[in-house]
Amino acid sequence: MMPTLKINGEDKNFENVPSTLKNLLEILKVDEATVVAEVNGNIIPRNSFNNTALHDGFKIELIRFVGGG
Amino acid sequence: MKKLIIANKEFNSRLFIGTGKYSSNEIMAKSIEASGTEMVTVALRRVDIQNPQDNMLAAIDRKKYLLLPNTSGARNADEAIRLARLARAATDINWLKLEVTPDPYYLLPDPVETLKAAQILVKEGFVVLPYINADPILAKKLQDAGTATVMPLASPIGSNQGIKTRVAIEIIISQASVPVVVDAGLGLPSHAAEAMEMGADAVLVNTAIATANDPLKMANAFKLAVQAGRDAFEAGAAGVKNQADASSPLTGFLRD
Repeated sequence: MMPTLKINGEDKNFENVPSTLKNLLEILKVDEATVVAEVNGNIIPRNSFNNTALHDGFKIELIRFVGGG
Repeated sequence: MKKLIIANKEFNSRLFIGTGKYSSNEIMAKSIEASGTEMVTVALRRVDIQNPQDNMLAAIDRKKYLLLPNTSGARNADEAIRLARLARAATDINWLKLEVTPDPYYLLPDPVETLKAAQILVKEGFVVLPYINADPILAKKLQDAGTATVMPLASPIGSNQGIKTRVAIEIIISQASVPVVVDAGLGLPSHAAEAMEMGADAVLVNTAIATANDPLKMANAFKLAVQAGRDAFEAGAAGVKNQADASSPLTGFLRD
């Protein structure tokens, strides 16, 4: 079975799981300056994206601001 | 117009603006500017992985406008607290519009969960602006818990019905030691002026501006109405009487 990350509630398969959160954002083309992230329920400060290692089965939430009242 | 102070921050404008429902980021930005506001609410949602470029925050000048992240979508205290922490991690600001709305039809706020979340978030150092039903007892409990404001609703969110909770909001204003922001349901500038005349410290408006045919013009209309209502409150209204009280002199008539 291919390695999987659960990203925003959906399983996404990778041949090789991106090594860090920063790598994942680059692959997804998400500007890291605009998001806040949770990995397995823990909030990751933006300056730690680079040294947050990812592994098969991790749950990741990528969140950003949208218009709201 | 006196300056509004919330949590030691001064505001020249007493109109806060929601950023939802605008047809484009450009119209949102122009409407914000036309409103004269100094604080805008934003929501937190999952990034659309299929369309990751969309970034509304780029359209908001953070030097001019304080961001007030909301906890919309939270159905209980735990979800609201999670969103609050994410918002703080995203922005480094600790201001928060706390809203807990378990019922999707009327979007009425849950008083028990809101109070519970407020107590925890205040201890965590958040400047908490709770969205509540117009309940004077709850407002006092939140104020005692250390919230920076209370924000009673005029009528259900986005309903544009105007102030349907007038008597309760009047009691809240009379008892409050923190600013009272009338939030939700204000559909017309006259509704906003009414809230300000009643002595509300500020109002928060989104739908009425964002979904007007001309949001920029409506933003300006709300700006003027809020200023007029506040000036009227500060001026002190003349009393209401049952019978006429002539404005012209009752002497010197041209008759014998």
